[in-house]
Amino acid sequence: MKRQNTKAYLLLLPSMILAVLFSFLPLIQSIIGSFLNVSQQGKVLGAAGLDNYISLFSDKAFINSIGHTFLFLAIFLPLNTVLILLAAILTRRKRRHIAIAEYVFLIPMAVSLSSISLIFREIFRGRVSIANRILSTDLPWLESPGCAIFVLALLGVFLDFGIDYILLLSSFRKIDRSLIEAASIDGAGSLRTLFYIELPEVKPMLSVIIFLAIKDAIMISAPVMILTAGGPFRSTETIMYYYYLEAFRSGNRGTGSSIATLMAILAGLIMATMAARRRHDRENG
Amino acid sequence: MKKAFSVFIVLLASALLSAGGSKEENTITIWHQFTGAHSDMFDEILDGFNETIGKDIGVTAEGVYQGAANDVLTKVKAAAGTSELPDIAAMDATACLDMKESDYLITADEAGIDKSILLPAAVRAFTSDRGLLAVPFCCSSLILYYNKTVFDEAGAEPPRTLDDFTAIAPRIGQRDSKGNVTRYAFAGTPTTYELGAFIGAQNGLSYMVDGKNGHFGVPRNVLIETDGTFRNFLVHWKQFYDTGFVLNTSDQMQEFAAGRSASMLNASDRLPTLQRLIGDRFEIATAFVPMTDENATGGVNIGGSALFMFSDSEAVKAFMDYILSLDCQRSWAEGTGYLPATSAVYSDPEFQEYLEANPLYGTAVAQTLASNPEVTGIWMPSGYQIYHTYQSEIREVTENGKDIDQAVHDMASFIQLQLDDYARQNTSK
Repeated sequence: MKRQNTKAYLLLLPSMILAVLFSFLPLIQSIIGSFLNVSQQGKVLGAAGLDNYISLFSDKAFINSIGHTFLFLAIFLPLNTVLILLAAILTRRKRRHIAIAEYVFLIPMAVSLSSISLIFREIFRGRVSIANRILSTDLPWLESPGCAIFVLALLGVFLDFGIDYILLLSSFRKIDRSLIEAASIDGAGSLRTLFYIELPEVKPMLSVIIFLAIKDAIMISAPVMILTAGGPFRSTETIMYYYYLEAFRSGNRGTGSSIATLMAILAGLIMATMAARRRHDRENG
Repeated sequence: MKKAFSVFIVLLASALLSAGGSKEENTITIWHQFTGAHSDMFDEILDGFNETIGKDIGVTAEGVYQGAANDVLTKVKAAAGTSELPDIAAMDATACLDMKESDYLITADEAGIDKSILLPAAVRAFTSDRGLLAVPFCCSSLILYYNKTVFDEAGAEPPRTLDDFTAIAPRIGQRDSKGNVTRYAFAGTPTTYELGAFIGAQNGLSYMVDGKNGHFGVPRNVLIETDGTFRNFLVHWKQFYDTGFVLNTSDQMQEFAAGRSASMLNASDRLPTLQRLIGDRFEIATAFVPMTDENATGGVNIGGSALFMFSDSEAVKAFMDYILSLDCQRSWAEGTGYLPATSAVYSDPEFQEYLEANPLYGTAVAQTLASNPEVTGIWMPSGYQIYHTYQSEIREVTENGKDIDQAVHDMASFIQLQLDDYARQNTSK
């Protein structure tokens, strides 16, 4: 038993080394750095006290970036959850040719983030855009703040769709068939079976997907960078994109460290809530 | 157990070994942002070097695309102090402040580049208190692009001042029977680049921030409020906007190419792309940037990018000499639409012939030669944030009727905040 444990730890060691090197040490460095003035060359110029935090919260753009992030979350989360659920429900039973639909829903996993972001940019670019041609609309998709955040949410859904779909689909297919058959014998229709048997069974996985989506929404930055670059008029600047601008583009490492610290706390809270939720689900059967 | 341990050690050792890569000594690595036709032209230049001088001295120049100009800067900063830093990187003016403050840059002066052969305005554009920072390479300037077909039909001449623009806007713009605008006179919301000309040219020469627009020392004070230049611009711009024929957008290129606006401002090197986009749909023409008012005589600054050096090897110097040669500069300019950085090209008969055959390219050349070389681009921290805040303030004034004095004050305060923040975090007290 003891030997088994040693082997397990040994196998875990590379991941643990990587986690310490690339997650924990930088996190500690960020927390310390948030109370220092650090030049972009990495030179410590002195203590900053709370100056980095004060300057951060006195910047209207940072406050706005919090608003944009939560607006993105408010659009992305329901859209993502509903679409994933629909796709998984429609394809949950193994039937002839269902594999075609499965492949289609899994396509997003085969496309890289950068490529699909660039494709979205071309589809929605300008009034004479492909999107307007297809939908017969005249919307300034990436030119108006309201539309741009919606397109960003659509991109977010596309990026998460493949992995979320496969997680939920496997959860649906793992449901004990005898439960469904028993319900069917008792006269439950397909809708009743879905709502009273299947959905409660996949609920734990659905909460994992929702928490992952919340985490992705709060951490979103690369799609913003490629699709909108924070525009139009800084209306799609999210917290992490603001962090990128401050830390890497503007040379304000102290401010960057403050944001990183706050985001680590936020991520910790989300993960703790998720763990508590899962524990609660397990305890309640 | 032993087997598992050995596998682990082998994996760890190979991971560590593969992480410590080294650069080939006989290769000059150049990070750049060129795409499409520009990338093809740059590859031609590299091939030209590799087949001639490079071959003689046993050196190969290799270009590596690293994304947009800003991405190149971000990656250079990330690679600073490591063996991954390239020998040369093509970056624009937004990199200058960071590069000036860095200890890993070999300035063009330190590398012994002969400045006397370069276009004076191009030298000024990249000169700082550390001397000439980089070798000007992709020089361009802001110009007015206009739909000549529309202007001719309306009997309008390209505007000399913003007031002229206001006067002709209703003639070159168009509305349908319901009063909806079907063609704007102008598309675009000015921001740092355009204001470099609209503010920089005022009173012959004006700066946005101290230290001659941040070229000398780290900028500490914003000037656009105290010297009244931003206010003056906003007053004239608001009058222009109030004609109802100005479209606030950041995608002016597409609006113009689609014929939805009769004019726009953009960099001179966008001409080949525009010509390709527009084709035969209408005749395109170019003109000088309209002056903010009659006293705004400074002209425009040189924009574009330059080659920053991180190695002082003889090979890099030889490459720079090659790239600044007359033939190389002429073919680069003709193939890309950029202004030549080498003065001799401007009097070269072959280039003159080219300008005669392609008169639209001549506008940027004439405008640059007529401009005050002291009018330079702005080097200041938080360039992105300032860029978008300018646009937001201009939109607030034009679309939402924000008081001009308040907008000027808010803009100046925002820039000052960025300068203070940068100074606090990046300079010793």
